[in-house]
Amino acid sequence: MAPGVIELVLFGFVLATALATAAFKDTLATIIVFAAYSLGMAIYYALLLAPDVAMTEAAIGAGVTTLLLLLTVAKTVRPGRDEVFERVHWPGILVAGGLTVAVLVTVAEFPAVGSPDAPIWSHPEVTQYYIAEAYHDTGVENAVTAVLAGYRGFDTFGEAVVVFAAGVASLVVLHSEVFTRE
Amino acid sequence: MSERGPDGEADDAGAPRDQAAGEQPAGTGEPFPRAAPDSRSVLGDDPSDGTYVESQVIMSTVRVITPFAFTYGLFLTFHGGASPGGGFQGGAIVGTTVLMIAFAFGIEPTRDWLANTVVVGLAAAGVAAFALLGLLPIVGGGRFLEHAVFATEFDVPHGKKYALEGVEIAAIMPIVAAIVIGLFFAIAAGFVGAGSPAGTASEPSAESGDDATAAGGDAE
Repeated sequence: MAPGVIELVLFGFVLATALATAAFKDTLATIIVFAAYSLGMAIYYALLLAPDVAMTEAAIGAGVTTLLLLLTVAKTVRPGRDEVFERVHWPGILVAGGLTVAVLVTVAEFPAVGSPDAPIWSHPEVTQYYIAEAYHDTGVENAVTAVLAGYRGFDTFGEAVVVFAAGVASLVVLHSEVFTRE
Repeated sequence: MSERGPDGEADDAGAPRDQAAGEQPAGTGEPFPRAAPDSRSVLGDDPSDGTYVESQVIMSTVRVITPFAFTYGLFLTFHGGASPGGGFQGGAIVGTTVLMIAFAFGIEPTRDWLANTVVVGLAAAGVAAFALLGLLPIVGGGRFLEHAVFATEFDVPHGKKYALEGVEIAAIMPIVAAIVIGLFFAIAAGFVGAGSPAGTASEPSAESGDDATAAGGDAE
């Protein structure tokens, strides 16, 4: 499947915002560009027919993360405003570039999107089961929700407890910081 | 350019704590010497809070958008079984509406309106609801989280579906929304306390003579 115009434009946008996130010196500019990157990725997920992931990326990546980072910058200091861009750090570029090349080499081995040779089709009786039986087994039409809260409900329960515990732990730690400094 | 002097090589991390620890002898001798020139807030110049500017544009916009965003978050949660979405996405949007209100009308008034105990209680109630929906099938003779038992043993019509949607609506959505709101409030409150030694009105103005731009902000 050859990428269309929308995919190519979106790819350029995501790539540009990702590089700009690393290049900008000013923290506020970095946060704003990073939010734009998340928005581009959300549209990308929607194009790849993953609307659930797209909504999560838009809400958490572009929305909540940006607000929390903005608040953090507003509450602390905003370092590095003398130059527009970071100075080039060659050892870092070497490591990041090497890693990128190493990952890009593996892309050629990926099966095409929707290809019948993809590993996901090597056991169609497993993958097709959830698509065919999700409504009968759980009573909901959205197979993603059926898997998340139905088939793997025990894992989701564990995740919910982890999110709860992590959030409460952060609240406790930040509160104790206030008490010790006052 | 003179203030960059000794640390020109290593300041790209930009963490204020590192600067304060590493640079103290090189600077003026004041605490947090590097923090003062850059300490203007992104969102306002009020030194007492630093995050809130009353803006008619923002307040009017949030007043109009919030009901729709809140409804959309609830729709994603309640309709997550039949269309894309679910408790996680819906909860994130519901939590974000509170963040929007806090940005428009001030964080402290919002905290007074939505107490910390309510936020943490919401998350705890979500975990309890999830556990309850898991434990009730055991009472009915099934296994943990075996939602089919609701229909077969408790005679709940569409028991499987309602139990699964109960997990989305009563458990995942409140947990995600409460953690988003709680983290936001915690960052807002935690840094008021932690930043107060350098963030009070008197101390930055004492060292504002070092830097012309900071003096301009403190002049009034």
